[in-house]
Amino acid sequence: MLDWLKNINKEYPEFWKTYLSKFDKKSKRFVILSTETSGLNPVKDVILSIGSFAVNDNSIVIGDSFEAVLLQYKFLHDNGLSNEFIVESKMKKLAEPEAIQSLINFIGNAVLVGHHIDFDVEMINAALERLDCGRLKNEALDVDVMYRKLQDINDRQFSLDELCDIYKIPKRDRNSSSEDAYKIALLFLKLKSRLGIK
Amino acid sequence: MNTIAEHIADFLKEYPPFNHLTFQELSEIATSIRVVNLEKHKILFQINDVLHDSFYVVASGVINLSVIADAEETLLNKCNAGDIFGLRPFFAKNNYMMTAKAREESIVYAIPIATFRPFVANNSEVLNFLLESFAVNTRNPKDKENLIGKLISDNVFYSDQQSEMQYFQSLSYNNSPLKTTITAIVKDVAQLMTETLKNNVVVCENNIPLGIITDTDMRSKIATGRYPVTVSVDKIMSSPVITVVENISLAEAQLLMLKYNVTHLCVTQDGTDKSDVKGIISEHDLIVAQANNPGVLIKEIKRSQIPKELKQIRERLTDLIQTSISKNIPLSHVFNIASEINLAIIKRSVELSILDLGSPPARFAWLSIGSQGRKEQLLLTDQDSILIFEDVTPDKYRDVKDYFLKLGKRTTATLEKIGYELCPNGHMGSNMLWCKSLTDWTKQYDSWMNTPGENSNDLSSIFFDYEITFGEQRIEDAIGNVVFKNAKNNTLFFDFLGNDALRKNSPLTFFKNFNVEEEGSNKDKFDIKTRALMPLIDGARLFTMSHGIRGINNTLQRFKQLAISDPKYAEIYLNCAEAFLTLSKFRTLEGLKNDNSGQFINLNELSKIDKEKLKNALAPMKELEELIKSKFQLTQFS
Repeated sequence: MLDWLKNINKEYPEFWKTYLSKFDKKSKRFVILSTETSGLNPVKDVILSIGSFAVNDNSIVIGDSFEAVLLQYKFLHDNGLSNEFIVESKMKKLAEPEAIQSLINFIGNAVLVGHHIDFDVEMINAALERLDCGRLKNEALDVDVMYRKLQDINDRQFSLDELCDIYKIPKRDRNSSSEDAYKIALLFLKLKSRLGIK
Repeated sequence: MNTIAEHIADFLKEYPPFNHLTFQELSEIATSIRVVNLEKHKILFQINDVLHDSFYVVASGVINLSVIADAEETLLNKCNAGDIFGLRPFFAKNNYMMTAKAREESIVYAIPIATFRPFVANNSEVLNFLLESFAVNTRNPKDKENLIGKLISDNVFYSDQQSEMQYFQSLSYNNSPLKTTITAIVKDVAQLMTETLKNNVVVCENNIPLGIITDTDMRSKIATGRYPVTVSVDKIMSSPVITVVENISLAEAQLLMLKYNVTHLCVTQDGTDKSDVKGIISEHDLIVAQANNPGVLIKEIKRSQIPKELKQIRERLTDLIQTSISKNIPLSHVFNIASEINLAIIKRSVELSILDLGSPPARFAWLSIGSQGRKEQLLLTDQDSILIFEDVTPDKYRDVKDYFLKLGKRTTATLEKIGYELCPNGHMGSNMLWCKSLTDWTKQYDSWMNTPGENSNDLSSIFFDYEITFGEQRIEDAIGNVVFKNAKNNTLFFDFLGNDALRKNSPLTFFKNFNVEEEGSNKDKFDIKTRALMPLIDGARLFTMSHGIRGINNTLQRFKQLAISDPKYAEIYLNCAEAFLTLSKFRTLEGLKNDNSGQFINLNELSKIDKEKLKNALAPMKELEELIKSKFQLTQFS
């Protein structure tokens, strides 16, 4: 409860200060975010890969993107997991601190969008804590919540696959956080125009 | 470079002009792409919008490109996945000249011109593709064929070949007319006209048209000696000029020229003579525009040498039908034109087969049956035909039949290439069963009509809608005689047809809802062909045959003729005729929308008014049914 007290006089890393300073202005940029994690526990589990795209003016900007595989050798080793996928992946490989730092630089003050984004944010916050930073300050939108709001459904949640089926977004056989982020981005565009969000 | 850029590059490399680029280059392009989602009916850009900094590739969905002429929207092209559009910013500086609108929810890739330009400059194939796309008019399928893939031109304001329905098409005209000032000397102007090979020059002041000088003025006022060549142009110019708005249609231009007895119209910004000159429409432009009409199509069919050419013409017919319908040209008229063109195509196909196989060993007739026999084929449906050859001596019979079977096979194959699917029931001249001598056919009709119950498997009512396509008229007449001789007082046969007509399920449920398909890929769609059109067609056939009316095969005309021959029930017949037109229109629109035969109507896409219209059109069927029941005591088969 008194966590904020602990942090009050702490010196943050430089990139975090830059990040905080970006919030002086409100952003029109959305960043679609999807993470792949080793499990569902923000404390014990770690992020394995990150995929994200920027959405500007109702369009996905393919070039304005960030994706990385996180080298979690220690975690994988401790849990006796294979690291084969990391070796095979063509994506950029970064250690967790560099990856999180790049991600923070990438998202800036944008509004985050994801599918069950709270969890992604929680995972990133956990990683940030390990870097002696504060918590993410960005606003966040959840496509599932947006969909339920549009349809006025309160009693259930929708998985990403279900939403993709509803909006006829083609699924691919291989799943990665980038693929997911792209699908979420398309969903977001469709929901955004239907909900009339500017 | 990221995963998604790679996917996009993978997608692009399948389509021109991107297939000329390396994967490396495509990845670079893909990285700079913006992905845009368009909701149904969302407009991406419209006429007179400032140019975007990108051009577009359809990733999924359909984008309609259209122009506006005479205050009506005309569809230029439908862009499907992989098609590029919006190339205008590459080549021109002025605003968009067409509207791009999502026909359904679509995703498009916006490729920045700045990124793409270097690839265009360095790769002549890409440049050529873009230039051709921009310059050619894609509504002409010939170009489509030549240039692999669909090209969407947005160069010309409207392409003169976009619609074959001449009177409703827009005009292309000279939009950089010769201009001169009011103080110019006639001699200089004449010199200018001669040098530029123009027969007219607009006299302007600050780009506002004051008058026009044409060859006629030169002839009547200068060459006659009335004025010397040294006077200023204002002495001889015709003034005021007749001015028109930019997107005038051919019909209107023609009317104005006749009305004012002039040979040139001046196009101005707002259509009055107080605004800037935009161009000149001359009589010649009208003649050029008129070169695209059904007559020309038929001429082209006659000259075609290969199925591919015929296929292109058939595609143009589809355009023609589409435009005609969107322009509310009476459907009966469209039926006539379409069937004449279809007829010409089939005729030419038979001719081509004969050219290949050598002249036939006996006289014969190729009859179209079914919808083409009734002259009701608007969309590409399947082909139905029979072949009848004259009787030959028994020793020759084998060879002759062999020849005609070959002829049938070749012709149906050609027609298939053109786009007419083979008949799933094998009702074609290439089938052993339906390629017979006149005697055999006579026997066939005799047995069908006198003992209809016994061999009913291969009796299909479509055999009673026939129209000669090629060959001896006398053979068709002979068959006609057989049919009508047998039909006379043949209660058994009419019973059979009557029952056949009534067997179709009713289109509406007890609660006056549409009876939709309950399963299969067309679930929840309304089968307009079997549930609504077939009963009318069957009914019309039944009554015309029982009234002994010959030579009318068209359902619409059958009903109209029936109203005259059987005035007691005229109202029912006329209602049915009207209903038939409405239903056909629904089907054709559905077919054009989905590029299929339009058999199944997606009710969800219909507006409430259209649904009511459709329901109303189903009402006369009930009356027709009752009439059939009372007229033919249907006992033998029911």
